Amino acid sequence: MRAALAVLLAFALTALLIIAAGKNPLLAYAALVRGAIGSWDRVGVGLNKATPYILTGVGVALCFRAKVINIGGEGQIALGGLAATWMALTFPRIPPIVLPLLALAAGAVAGAGWAAVAAAVRLRRGVHEVLVTLLLNFVGVLIVSEALQGSLGEPGAGFPQSPLLPAATWLPHPLQGNDLHVGILAAVIAILAGHALLWRMPFGFRLRVMGASVPAAVYAGISPPRTFLGVMSLAGALAGLAGGIEVLGVHYRLIDGFSHGFGFNAVAIALLGALNPVAILPAGLFFGFLETGAQAMQRAVGVPTPLVSVIQGLTMVFILSAMGVSARRPRV
Amino acid sequence: MDSVAELLAASLRIATPLLFAALGGILSERAGVFAVGLEGMMLTGAFAGVIATHALGHAGLGLVASAVGGALLAAIVAIATVRFCADQMVTGLAVNILALGLTSFLLRGLFGRGEAPIIRVTPLAPLPIPALSDIPIVGPLLFRQPALTYVGLALIVAMFVLLHRTRAGLTLRAVGENPTAAFAGGADPLRVRAVAVVSGGALAGIGGAVLSLQQVGTFTDGMTNGRGYLALAAIIVGRWSPAGAFVGCLLFGATDALQLRIQGLRLPVSSYVIQMLPYVVSLAVLAGLGRGAKLPSAIGTPFVRR
Repeated sequence: MRAALAVLLAFALTALLIIAAGKNPLLAYAALVRGAIGSWDRVGVGLNKATPYILTGVGVALCFRAKVINIGGEGQIALGGLAATWMALTFPRIPPIVLPLLALAAGAVAGAGWAAVAAAVRLRRGVHEVLVTLLLNFVGVLIVSEALQGSLGEPGAGFPQSPLLPAATWLPHPLQGNDLHVGILAAVIAILAGHALLWRMPFGFRLRVMGASVPAAVYAGISPPRTFLGVMSLAGALAGLAGGIEVLGVHYRLIDGFSHGFGFNAVAIALLGALNPVAILPAGLFFGFLETGAQAMQRAVGVPTPLVSVIQGLTMVFILSAMGVSARRPRV
Repeated sequence: MDSVAELLAASLRIATPLLFAALGGILSERAGVFAVGLEGMMLTGAFAGVIATHALGHAGLGLVASAVGGALLAAIVAIATVRFCADQMVTGLAVNILALGLTSFLLRGLFGRGEAPIIRVTPLAPLPIPALSDIPIVGPLLFRQPALTYVGLALIVAMFVLLHRTRAGLTLRAVGENPTAAFAGGADPLRVRAVAVVSGGALAGIGGAVLSLQQVGTFTDGMTNGRGYLALAAIIVGRWSPAGAFVGCLLFGATDALQLRIQGLRLPVSSYVIQMLPYVVSLAVLAGLGRGAKLPSAIGTPFVRR
């Protein structure tokens, strides 16, 4: 309810921007909806778009539950994509069904590793994780650029990208003539697993206690540093998996800057989903479709796509304000 | 020797946008509000500065516009975090996303008919101070800088005086350390925080204008490219003191200046590895300083009147 209101308010405000740009907001939004869900083909593209957002968003939500502000999704996704690409290009003799799975696993490991680096700097040196993850995002993205410049790059491509991956590593497309790949299944599994973890398992309980009060967690025998490292690595693994899926399912190669903006989108989605894994499904789908719809809107009525970021930013501010108000109860 | 002086002068020039943003961030954080939104405030300032300079034909008006732009974005942060107690860090991130979208959208929508136009303005020229600029080594370093760099240096002193030698500064720091006590003492923590965040945003906006008007001469999408986050790191490195933050900014400025030099040397390292330097160095410095960083006690905690 609160999320729907926030989105509605954001759309109303951005309508003013569209008017300022000399366009009709109703026509623009109509084009956006048509571009998002106007045909099965567009729906497939939107689902693909939402997949990495949902995966990363579930990880961010689990972190936020423990008051661990991990905003390093972009770097974790970038390195996940890099590791998956490396695996797929380096071991072409591994049997076809095993190789993509191994590549995705490599992506998850790389993402987890990168997040663990951030966690280590936070835990051992006391630098706040917001700053560490933000700075590591830049480094992670540059590592991908560096790899594409060097050993993983496609010679003479004119653009920093890897060679096309062997077709055996591409994720299957279950529907004939539709871009939809099976990655969305991973997103659904992540949501169910995230829900079970958060509400039905000891680790999820530890997350929630630590988020409520660190001293209470210590009193209950929970180790905050271990919980911190655990949830960061888990979120990193999900983000790395998202990077691998993006590479194997959408581009079939590693492209410079493919992760641009994904990490921040994931934060927006986690908030829109009220840090609830199950509610992240609609939130992620919404942002996925918003993005594909905005591309169509730009083509059809000439309203520029950065409008999506405006809607995202405003939605976040509204939801954060509402969360702040409801958390503001008089203390005993 | 000459090249060292040149490098130092370049470091100071490159550090100037960070310096403005860091000083603005100190204002906000000393009052108890995290300044994660510096990046977006800089970007808004950079945009508003170029657009206003181009439209009104006067760089002075451009500067005013950049301060207003940064302050407006900061006002969103102030309302959300101070009035509605929203999480300060994530709200900062939210306005950064908002600023990125808004500036890119307006650039295309209002000025480019859907495409991103290139709006060129004449960059602010260096302003050598007569006599002083002829002193060997120190002269070119300190006295042959663009105008806004001098302003930035003067602001370090002004900010110190404001925080530690005036009543307003005392109130501001009290609100950042213990808003309840400050409230009991007659201050209005909500108003103090709002004013601090918004004026900090104005400074960060000018920092963005230093980048777009003094260094580059145009606006491009996301041109701040993490400088707001580096300014945030500089504040921590400098332990929330204006002079300390300046040292942090200089360090990152020097890294950046060195990066440009190294790229000119054609070393066997790729440019991407060198581009990592500012981020890696700031992380290394933060990690090296370790704990001990004494945050303003009440930072991140909303003040609720009871």
